[in-house]
Order: sequence, then C-alpha cells, then structure tokens
Amino acid sequence: MPSKKGDSPMTRQAFIIARREFLERVRNKWFAIVTILGPIGMIAAIVLPAYLSVRSVQEGFHVQVVDRSERDVAGMMDIELDARGVAFKIEKVPPETDLAVLEKRIRDEQIDGYLVFPKDVLTGGKVIYRGDNATNMLVTKGLSSLVDFAIFRTRGKDMGLAELQIANLFQKVEFESKQTTGQGEATSGTASFVVGYAVMFVLYIAILLYGVAVLRSVIQEKNNRVVEIMVSSVRPISLMLGKVIGVGCVGLLQLTLWGMMAALIITFREEVLGLFGIPGAGAFELPSLGAADFAIILIYFFLGYFFYAALYAAIGAMVNSEQEAQQAQTPVMLMLIIPVLCVQIVAGDPRGGVAEVLTQIPFASPVLMPMRFLLDAASTAEILASIGILLVSLFGAVLLAAKVYRVGILSYGKKPSFREVWSWIRS
Amino acid sequence: MAVPLATPKFSLRLSGVGKRYGDFVAVGDLSFEAPTGVVYGLLGPNGAGKTTTLRMINNIIMPDSGSIELLGKLRPGPAAAKHIGYLPEERGLYPKMKVRETLAFFGSLRGLRGKEATRQADVWLERLKLSDWHGNNVQDLSKGMQQKVQFAAALIHDPDLLILDEPWSGLDPINAEVLKDIVSAQKDAGKTILFSTHLMEQAEHLCDHVCIMAKGRKAVEGPLDELKREAAAEGLIMLAFRTSEDEARARTEVLVQPLVESIRGERDGLLVQLAEGGDSDKLLAELVAANLGIRRFERQQATLHQIFVSRVGAMADAEQEGRLADD
Repeated sequence: MPSKKGDSPMTRQAFIIARREFLERVRNKWFAIVTILGPIGMIAAIVLPAYLSVRSVQEGFHVQVVDRSERDVAGMMDIELDARGVAFKIEKVPPETDLAVLEKRIRDEQIDGYLVFPKDVLTGGKVIYRGDNATNMLVTKGLSSLVDFAIFRTRGKDMGLAELQIANLFQKVEFESKQTTGQGEATSGTASFVVGYAVMFVLYIAILLYGVAVLRSVIQEKNNRVVEIMVSSVRPISLMLGKVIGVGCVGLLQLTLWGMMAALIITFREEVLGLFGIPGAGAFELPSLGAADFAIILIYFFLGYFFYAALYAAIGAMVNSEQEAQQAQTPVMLMLIIPVLCVQIVAGDPRGGVAEVLTQIPFASPVLMPMRFLLDAASTAEILASIGILLVSLFGAVLLAAKVYRVGILSYGKKPSFREVWSWIRS
Repeated sequence: MAVPLATPKFSLRLSGVGKRYGDFVAVGDLSFEAPTGVVYGLLGPNGAGKTTTLRMINNIIMPDSGSIELLGKLRPGPAAAKHIGYLPEERGLYPKMKVRETLAFFGSLRGLRGKEATRQADVWLERLKLSDWHGNNVQDLSKGMQQKVQFAAALIHDPDLLILDEPWSGLDPINAEVLKDIVSAQKDAGKTILFSTHLMEQAEHLCDHVCIMAKGRKAVEGPLDELKREAAAEGLIMLAFRTSEDEARARTEVLVQPLVESIRGERDGLLVQLAEGGDSDKLLAELVAANLGIRRFERQQATLHQIFVSRVGAMADAEQEGRLADD
C-alpha cells in the first residue's frame, strides 16, 4: 500500500459522516421548533392540570340526592362540603322523583349527576352515583367520603352519641408518605415517583425518536441513491457508526437543552404559574436532581440510544421504504415498549427482585435503571453491573447490525426474508 | 491530500473475476487490463454485467472469485477509493445539503483535508459555472446543475482513475458536452478513464481501448484501432456502381456464393461481406472481368457498432448451437 494506513482511518471517515448528520439535523428548522416546543409542552404539563383543577374546584359540581332512607341521611351531608378540594353543590330532591327526570337534567346539563340512597342505606344498602363526571377520581372519592360521613353520623346519632363526640370521632387524620431506602434523603413519595416517571418517559421518547431518526436516515440514503457513492468511499461500519453518532449527538444536545430549560422552569414554577393567574401555593415539592442523577440519565440515554440505534440502522438497511420499515421495526419497538409497561413494577417496589432483574436486562435497563436510581433503590454495584451488561450487549448489537447493514444497504427491490437476513449475519 | 502513486503500467487489472447470484452468473471469469492514461470503454447490452463489474472495482460488492488490482498494487477498498473517482449509474446527492458542502464532504471522504476540500469545491464550482449556487441546497438546483455537481463530486479529489457508469444516461446535450470535455481534460492530464455504456457512437468517439461484454463474459477486448483493423481484414467492402443496371447484374453474376457471404444496401452503395477465406482482390478481378462500371471499391473499417453486433451476435449464436448440441 503506497499510503500510510492511518491516512484515512475508519474513525476519521466516521467522524466526517457524523458531522454531516449532526449539522444537517441541527440546522433544520424542525430542530429549533421541537427544541422550543418541548419546554412549552413541559410548561403546559405543569400549568394545565393546576389550571383545570383550580377551575373545577371554583366551579364545583351540582349533585342532586334522591334519599329513600326516610331518615334524612342526605341532610347530614351538607355540613362538610369541602371534600378533597372539590366543591359540591348538594341539593335534595323528593324521594319519589322519577330517575328519568334526573337523567334528563344531566342531558340538559342542569346538574352534573345524582345520588340515590336506598331504603336500607344504614344497614348495608348500596349508594349509587350516576353522573357525567363519574370517571373523575376526585369526584367519586369526594362524594364517597361525603356519603361515608353522612352515614357514620346518622349511625352515631342512633347510638346516642353527642354531636361533639361524633365530631371528635371523625376529626380528619393527617397522613403523608415519603420515599426512602434508608440512605437517601426522604422526599415525598409522589414527587419521587413523578420525577422518576418523567425521566423514564423522556428516555423512552428520546431513544425511540432518535432511533427512528437513524432508521429514516438509512432509508433516505438508500432512496436518494447516495448510498452507492458512500459505500464505495467508506466501510459500511464507518457509515453506520457515523450516522448513529451524528444523530446521537443531536439527541444529546437536545436533551441537554431541555434539561436546562426544565431546571429553569421547575425552579421558577411558582412564577410561571403566576403568569397564568394561578396561585403557586407551593402545593407540590419536587426533589432536586443532582449532578450524579444527570450523569446517570445521560449515560443510560447514550448507551440505550446506541443499542437501539444500531438495531434501527440494521432494519433500515433491510427495507426499501418507510412503509416496509413500519412493519420490520415492530420487534425492536416491542423491546422498547415492554420495559415501559413494567414501569409500575419498578416504581411500586424499586428494591424488589423483579425490579433488580429488569434493570439488568440490556434492552430494559436504559429506560428503567435511571428511574430506579432516582428512587434511591439501586446500589453502585448494581449500576456498574447493569452498565457492564449493557456495554457488552451494545457491542454485540453493533457487530450484528454492521453485518446486516453491510449486505442489506445495497439490496434494492424485494424485502429480504428472515432466512436471508440470518445468512447475512452468519457470513 | 492523497499521496501520489508512482505511475504503474496498468491502472486496472482484472484476473478471472466472477460474481454469481444463486444460479445466475452476473460476471464470469472476466479478465482485462486498462493501461494507464487511456480512455477505456466497457461496452455491452443491458444485463451484460457492466455495472456489476464496476461495483466490484469500487468495493461495493465482493467478487466470488478472481482478483482486482488498482493503480499498481491496491485492492478495492477505502485506501484505493482515495485515488478513484466514481460516478454511479444511479446518481444521488443529499437533497438538503448545501452545494459547496456537498462537494467538500465527498472530497474529504476520499482523502482531502478540511480546508483543501473546501478550496477544491470552489475550484470545481467555478469551473462548472456553479459558483453562484454554492450556498443553495442541492434540491434547489435544476436537474442539469445537479448532474454537474455529481461530476464534480466524483472528481474533486483529483483521482488517477475515473470510473463512470453509463455516464450519458439522463444527460442533456449541454452536459454531455461538459462530460466530454472533462474526459478529455482528464486524459490530457495523464489520468485513466473507465466507463461503461451501451451507446456505441459515444464510445467510438472517446475510447482508446474497449472491452465488449455479453452475458457476463468478455466477447472481445483490445485497442479500438486494432479491433477495427482486424474487422477490416475480415473482408468488409463498400461497393458502388455507375448505373443501377450494373448493380443489378453484379448482384446476380458476381456477388454470390461462395465468394460473398452477404450484401447490405447502404445509402451510398452496397456493403459486401466476403465469405470466409474470401479475397477482395479476387472480387475486384471478377467485377472487372464482368465489365461492370465501378464507382467505388473500398475496404471498410468496421464501425464499433458493427464489431459489437458481429461479436455479441456470434456469442449468442455459439450459445444457441451449444444449447442445441446439449439437447
């Protein structure tokens, strides 16, 4: 060979390709739009629920009661109407009222719903609520506690208890749950879950988004026929790695920008809420994310993305159009969705055996481990083991994908059968 | 910059190269050599295996057998690619990439270093009168301009061997001229050009050497002059007579077996193919003896088209006979 071997090494060409992919994507107006729309979505995610709950509490729900108990149980309800932050307007109607009339009132939007107390309500008869808001958990829980209270008070009176005694008996119990594993600081259990879940979800979306971006990039290169010049200039593995790295850097940049914006929004969330005329009230306290948390999130994003992007690149090389890709990517999609479906298991018992196993499985750990880490449930040894397993699998996935890529990238026309793909891998 | 190579005698040497897909032989036992500094035409009908051959030379597909040597001792691969320019039949560029960056990108993939790639991109844009478009996306350019960018992308790294696969397909006349100029400029600079085509007239104007392929195999190969001379020696004569009576008489009395194999009427006379072992002197003597008024008697150089038809046709006939013999 007349020139030095290091003259144009694989890495230099992969870098040139990665730079092209990166620049083309970052300069695209969609990158700017999505990067800006992301935080707007985040603001909406914080503001909208708060806004809506404030609205419905202010408006309240109009509920009519058909009391057939002959004991005026419904009369006991209007004493404590502030149930779980939901305002109700409770109104008694005569017991003989035809239910069809009440149904019509719901249709005409005069009332939100109606309660029926049966004759034997004090001895176990079932109270039934029918309304256009029965799917709202706040409504059913609020109503249920109102009904409970009314019935317990009636029963108390029947037992001969004084009003004060009854009030004492049902004085509200304060209760709060905090997440801890005995090592980290304890934050609100709900808040930890919210952050862990949000991180899991962002990782899932990011890996999917950028994995599919690699897939589409491979297909486009095939469709606009650049691939022939590319493959005659560089090794297919350089082409594949360059693509995966270039798209991955775009993802990393976008995630970092989003992370910074999210940190700002969360820090100034009361001011943000104030902008929309909602009292911040500090109703929710979010655990802050430290440098270690961010490091873990980025490490798992990058490894997970690489693992999936290599598989997506191989699929892109196998197919000829986006339509074909829809079908061919199903197995990879499933690999990514299954861990998301298991999120309740990990969140519900982050130190349980199932969570321990799930966060070691290479195709699930990128999505689930950061969440488990944020819940303070993963030991350093477990994290190192999971990263190690992920690295080894990543290496395997890249090798496998490179083989499929090398043969598939030049096959136009018919989609290869599974048997053919297998022979590419073995060749 | 690519390290310049010592000038080897042959820019390209194929020895016994074969490629099959299942039972289908795309290329079978193909050997030829392209001397440095020539314009080499790889000719043949569609499906002859030209593109497969060029793809093997460009390391896009691997041959099943045989060996390919490039520019001395290089094998197909990224190291050789730095000295080769390639224009595939299926043309393509990144539609959303700027024109100048596109050129610099392909240049740097084939060995140009950062600044040099951009500089060469500007040189080529200037040369192809595309300088005003350097900042536009490729997709904003007309098809003709995109073709020019394609040429430049294949040439930006100053390759020693330029490979063009069916370069005229889809070219407008202006760009066909541009391409012709590029090929002659490359040749003048001592570079080797290998191209494939099924258009014999284009090849005849440009080629020094040709290799005619059919059904994946070599039908004939060599310097074009030699091939033409050989074809002439095989007894092709252009004849014209003073009157049409002379011509009619000649057809019935002289131009017959065993001396003459076939006659074809052309615009300015009769193209006569002598029978095997036929002698043109003998034909002339007979024509004179018959007292015919002769206006023209000329030993013909065969056109490339004629060579192509006779060689590829002969191969098809041989195959036909082979098949009959098998039955």
